[in-house]
Amino acid sequence: MSNSNARTRSSCRRVFFLLLAAQALAQDARQIMVEVQNRARSNSQHYEGVLKVVDSKSKVSEKRWTYDRIGSAGQSKVILRFTAPAEVKGVAVLVINHPDRASDQWMWTPSLQRDRRIALQDRSTRFFGTDFSFEDLEERDVEQFDYKLLGEEKCGESVCYKLESRPRKTKVSQYSHSFLWVEKERMIILRIEGYQRDRLVRRIQYSDHQKVQNIWTPLLIEVEDVGRKSKTILRTDKLQYNAPMKEEMFTLQALRRES
Amino acid sequence: MILLRLLSWPYVRKHKLRTSLTIAGIALGVLVFVAMRTANNSVLYGFQQTVERIAGKAQLQISSGETGFPEEVLEKVQALPEVEVAVPVIEANLNTGRKGQGNLLVLAVDMTGDRSLRQYEFEEGEEAVVDDPLVFLAQPDSIIVTREFAAANGLTTNSKIRLETMDGPKQFTVRGIMKSGGLASAFGGNLAIMDIYAAQKVFGRGRTFDRIDLKLKPEISLEAGKAALQQALGPGFQIEPPSSRGKQFEAIAKLFGIAASLNSLFALLIGLFIIYNTFAVAVAQRRSEIGILRSLGASRNQIRGLFLSESVIMGLVGSLLGIVLGLLLAQAMSGYISTFLSEIYGVAQHTEEIAADPLVLVSAALIGIATSLAAAWIPANDAATADPVKAIHKGAWESFTDQESRLRLLGAVAFIIVAALCSFTGGKSGFRLYLGYLSVVLAAVMLTPAAVKCIVRLLRPLWRWLLPVEGALATDSLLQTPRRTSATVAAVMLSLSLVIGLGGVAAASYRSILDWMTAALNPDLFVGSSEQIADRSFRFPPEIGEQLQKLDFIDEVQMVRSARVLYKDTPVMMVSTSLESLRRRIRPKAVAGDLEKAYREAARGEGVILSDNLALQHGLKVGDIMEISSPSGVLKLPVLAITIDYSDQRGALLMERSLYIEKWKDPTVNLFRVYLKPGVAPEEAKRRILERFAQERKLFVMTNQQVRDYILRITDQWFGLTYMQIFVAVLVAVLGIVNSLTVSITDRRRELAVLQAVGGLRRQVRQAVWMEALGIGAVSLVLGLLLGAVILQYYLDAIREDLAGMRLDYYYPTRIALLLVPTMLITSFVSALWPAETAVRTSLVEALEYE
Repeated sequence: MSNSNARTRSSCRRVFFLLLAAQALAQDARQIMVEVQNRARSNSQHYEGVLKVVDSKSKVSEKRWTYDRIGSAGQSKVILRFTAPAEVKGVAVLVINHPDRASDQWMWTPSLQRDRRIALQDRSTRFFGTDFSFEDLEERDVEQFDYKLLGEEKCGESVCYKLESRPRKTKVSQYSHSFLWVEKERMIILRIEGYQRDRLVRRIQYSDHQKVQNIWTPLLIEVEDVGRKSKTILRTDKLQYNAPMKEEMFTLQALRRES
Repeated sequence: MILLRLLSWPYVRKHKLRTSLTIAGIALGVLVFVAMRTANNSVLYGFQQTVERIAGKAQLQISSGETGFPEEVLEKVQALPEVEVAVPVIEANLNTGRKGQGNLLVLAVDMTGDRSLRQYEFEEGEEAVVDDPLVFLAQPDSIIVTREFAAANGLTTNSKIRLETMDGPKQFTVRGIMKSGGLASAFGGNLAIMDIYAAQKVFGRGRTFDRIDLKLKPEISLEAGKAALQQALGPGFQIEPPSSRGKQFEAIAKLFGIAASLNSLFALLIGLFIIYNTFAVAVAQRRSEIGILRSLGASRNQIRGLFLSESVIMGLVGSLLGIVLGLLLAQAMSGYISTFLSEIYGVAQHTEEIAADPLVLVSAALIGIATSLAAAWIPANDAATADPVKAIHKGAWESFTDQESRLRLLGAVAFIIVAALCSFTGGKSGFRLYLGYLSVVLAAVMLTPAAVKCIVRLLRPLWRWLLPVEGALATDSLLQTPRRTSATVAAVMLSLSLVIGLGGVAAASYRSILDWMTAALNPDLFVGSSEQIADRSFRFPPEIGEQLQKLDFIDEVQMVRSARVLYKDTPVMMVSTSLESLRRRIRPKAVAGDLEKAYREAARGEGVILSDNLALQHGLKVGDIMEISSPSGVLKLPVLAITIDYSDQRGALLMERSLYIEKWKDPTVNLFRVYLKPGVAPEEAKRRILERFAQERKLFVMTNQQVRDYILRITDQWFGLTYMQIFVAVLVAVLGIVNSLTVSITDRRRELAVLQAVGGLRRQVRQAVWMEALGIGAVSLVLGLLLGAVILQYYLDAIREDLAGMRLDYYYPTRIALLLVPTMLITSFVSALWPAETAVRTSLVEALEYE
């Protein structure tokens, strides 16, 4: 009887320590992501991007946009305006991120002089012929995911934390889970792989990191649609943080007015 | 079997023409039945196929009649937890303006999400172009077409195609070509995909969608999903699986289906008489054989079985021939019916292939055989029950016994009493109406021999006055063979009576429509978006009405928005306009209610005014409350008045425009009714309106006369079936008279030969046969025109009470009757030409040896 009680106590202790360890790991993972988010924090961001879409037959098409963001960490608002090629010039996308739910997205078509709402159900579809999905344009706010630290891995010459993220109930996502590789030294994300159950859907690689206004920023982002075997390379130019921007610029009215 | 081989087969071989005529009679009935049914089914099937192909994986479709609904509804639907994907749709029908290309069905969707529901497969190499929705969406001139349409029009990627839009003709750029099959095969491949927001502009839809297609989450059942959607959206929306659109189309085109069925029945009835006539003739011709067979011990059942077996074989051959020809005719008819239904109902559909329903084909064969069997029953029975001695005796067979004549008269009286009872006990609809109708027809058939006798006796002096010898011979021949003559006369009489009945309906409809047009369609000009008034693909913004009103030569503009809404699951045409203006301008015929007061109250949004046919079909009276579903909820409006209004076959309800805009959130306009200032010539005003708007708007201006002509042309097409029936009636007359005369001449070969042997001239014999044919024609005409006058009333009652709810005044179709007189007399004469030649060219020796 006493033996059996001792065994039970021992098992309980083991489970308790395991849970504690798991919580500690989760805590570590969250802290890592909070740190990543804090280091990249800025009040605003502006850049000019060049997108190269390489399809499965190696056919390349190019698009350009300007990117403006105000706010950060789940409260940001983004406006993307296509500047080239000529047939898409003026098309703009407004993304309003929320800390507790999926973002709101609208697209403005100047030739029709009207906006359209991008429905939540459509967020997994490709973002206008690129390999980004509409969801990939949303801010990955730490609070909308649960994280787990899976260990450390070598990433080229650096050492990375490998983390698993799973969307919380409030977050509507096409990905059941994602793996993230965070460089230990600079606390920057180098790679994200998005999965739908066991199937790898999309791989995003961040490279050519440069310190711009004291923020390590990837100037090259490569998105690969694994199923389609196509990729999109986004190169950012004229990057600027904390430039003065007005909230009024990030409204539907402004979207309509300024295109 | 032995009797068939020994007796029937030689007879068939000897009388090839008559056998062919009998088979033709059955084939004709089956042909019309198969053709009408198959063509009608093919149109419905084509519509259903288009619906299914376009629906893709959509499980449910949300609509609000034809009116569409505001965009916000989509967000509401997408937010529901039961919904996996919901995408907006606009469908429109565009005239390509290209010869032989017909209409193009434009499916406008939101490309960002639509691929979750529909499979778009593009031609190899073009995917990257089309797959870039940004280019597709950013350019409102983007269009995707099918391989078939591209090939037919010589289009490739980036080709330009000119299409009509609300802003006038515009060039569109082909940004993708879909592979054949699946979605691309909808509407016979005449399909184009467009961005939905571009389509709103192109078709003038404002910020509305026609429909939402959706897929539920896998764990949600159809019923649960439907219930959740209905609760979220309210009763103003129809949430149904895509297949239910086929049923709605069927309901819209119900009247056409009924007309097609009536035609089939008509053809079969006529076929029945042809067969009866032929078998009666065959029995008459072979009476000697029957007598001999009976004398040799053949049983009655054997004789009956012999004739019935013949009828089954002929029925089978005729049915098979009718089925084959019917399918061919259906192929030719379906395209015509398809276009016709588009014009009448404004519903886009495209018949791609013939939907040969095995049930229809098997039914046709069975009906053909059963008709043949039923028609042969009386002659076969006569043959079986004949006294052998009497059968051998020539001539006795052709006459009725006194008992037979008495029975026929008694039967006729009984049927007349039944018809009278039905009529006096309110038999204006339902079972009593049809029983009364059947009784009248049967009474007429029973009375035919007696009537033939009377009329031929009356004709005799006239015929003798015209040609003394030949006239006497002809009328005597008719009087001596009442069985044969009355069978032919009954067939032609029925045929003609049906023509008179249907012609009367057509004439009454024309008169009523003309009266309605005079009272209600009195604007000087009609400004619409298409040359087809029923087409509602394009809509105008109300500003166009305001701009029209500002033109100095225009006195008043009435903005009309018409669309089908569902009332008690039946599509009903809702017409909204300024009722105060309408009250001042038109004087419709009131059926119930005080019109002046009703228009004033309706103009304040306090009720609706109904068309008579709508009220009748739904049993609505003045004061009843109608519950009309709108996107804003259910409207409960009293019926203020009922008027004669032929805006739509299924009925129309008139509503104040401001109330419609408020409840349907739809300020668009289908049609402008334009009244000109005094002294302004309509043609000149039309020219000036086109000058002002043609460059910026897709706009059609029609003068009052052009609209009237258009409506009458559609009515003509509708009653085009009547002309087909006249053709069938003439054909029946030809077949009947040729058959009858051929037998008459065969029977009288010896008599005619004797006549020639004693000095009778060939001319006299020929003329005697002609006179006999003219006699049959004349008697049939008199009886047919009389019976037609009676059955017309039954048709009008059936149309009013049971079929369409149309109140048509009795109007005898004098023009058609007058047209039938020469037609039938000439037909009779022409039918007699060949038998007459046979009569005079037979060898005298051979003829004298006959019998």
